[in-house]
Amino acid sequence: MDVLNVDYMVGLIPVLLGYLPLTLQLAGTGMALALILACLFAVVRVLGIPVLNQLTIVFISFFRGTPLLVQLFLFYYGLPQLASGLTVIDGVTATIMGLTMHFSAYMAESIRAAIVGVDRSQTEAALSIGMTNGQMMRRIVLPQATRVALPTLMNYFIDMIKATSLAFTLGVTELMGATQKEAAGSFLYFEAFIVAAVIYWIVVEMLSKLQYYLEIRLNKAYSR
Amino acid sequence: MKTLLINTLLMISLVVSAPLLAQEDPLKVGMSGQYFPFTFVEQDTLKGFDVDIMKAIGEEMGREIQFETANFSGLMGMLESGRIDTVANQITITEDRQKAYIFSAPYVYDGAQVVTKKGNTEVENVEDLKGKTVAVNLGSNFEALLRELPYADQIDIKTYESNLERDTALGRVDAFVMDRVSASQIIKEKPLPLELAGPTFSQITNAYPFRDTEAGRELRDEVNKALASLRDKGELKAISKKWFGTDITRP
Repeated sequence: MDVLNVDYMVGLIPVLLGYLPLTLQLAGTGMALALILACLFAVVRVLGIPVLNQLTIVFISFFRGTPLLVQLFLFYYGLPQLASGLTVIDGVTATIMGLTMHFSAYMAESIRAAIVGVDRSQTEAALSIGMTNGQMMRRIVLPQATRVALPTLMNYFIDMIKATSLAFTLGVTELMGATQKEAAGSFLYFEAFIVAAVIYWIVVEMLSKLQYYLEIRLNKAYSR
Repeated sequence: MKTLLINTLLMISLVVSAPLLAQEDPLKVGMSGQYFPFTFVEQDTLKGFDVDIMKAIGEEMGREIQFETANFSGLMGMLESGRIDTVANQITITEDRQKAYIFSAPYVYDGAQVVTKKGNTEVENVEDLKGKTVAVNLGSNFEALLRELPYADQIDIKTYESNLERDTALGRVDAFVMDRVSASQIIKEKPLPLELAGPTFSQITNAYPFRDTEAGRELRDEVNKALASLRDKGELKAISKKWFGTDITRP
């Protein structure tokens, strides 16, 4: 028996690549929604809006304090127990819900830190030359906060792509689910998981390149 | 204000329940796609004994079959929450499961089998499992079978989501327990150094579980009718011969 069945691996590449779009769709949608939610949370926290602030704190505490898999099970298997109509939440929706809420809780904190991290003297200077709060945020604070938050946000996105591998437990056959099934059918586990690992790796590597490019662009105004 | 609220709630419940009312077709069948040769995937195609039987049942009933694959441990949850109508994954009828679900007529008769790495002379039958580490699939009936043994407290049972055959071949566990026909097929067709250890130690009977509701009972009766007709036509036997070379659909 050969160490690695290369023919099998080559044959598996197109099969598994077929599931990459679903993986990216789960992570991409999750990321877009999580970003929106996280920005809202961060603003609520920074401005200390009463009631909303407390709710946000509880939300963040819960979704950071429990494993993603538990949250996915809650949405997928738990909610239909409340009302049978809630089975309309299919595996894909439950996965996106879980990813969005789980990661928005983390991202809200890093966005908040980035906003708070912009030196006070800058906001004071902006206000002293007659900028409104909105102008100050848009022109002074957010460009700098974005630059600071970018690397951590990208990290969360990378994490999210890999977290989609939990979706198979909810019946969503994404990249990892497809790999598990192929491996279980062929009994060539090593081969199948190597192919999956390399695909994930290449995707993440491409994102790292994008991050590098974005960092250079965002830093242009601040480099000396 | 109040009527507005009630109207909105009504609207929402209508929208939410619409897919339930329209669920006439197809029949949603859950399986793991990870249990060779009953349900497995090869080059993106779902195959196996359970797939073929279910397709035949669908044809007999005149209903389209929609397969939903998920990890084995998630399947019963999907049945419970109404996302699938039944599970076709060599589900064994057990007392516990009978309390929660209603079962179709049996379509597979088989036995529990101990399997070891080739050349393992320490384990030659089920009594030899005393003091050994034994792998079983998570949520499967074989775990319960092992726990019923009089010396169960001396067996270290490890549960797996998948891949227990490979771990046995690697020597990470001393043996695994599975149904005899699957184990025999794996040994015959897959490149793993495994062998059957002794005779089967418990009779197992497989059937399709349904929710214990009016709709579930109706569906069960329809499936039973289809199964009986397939049995009469010899189709069950033909499908069994195709996958196992023998008829496992009769006791």
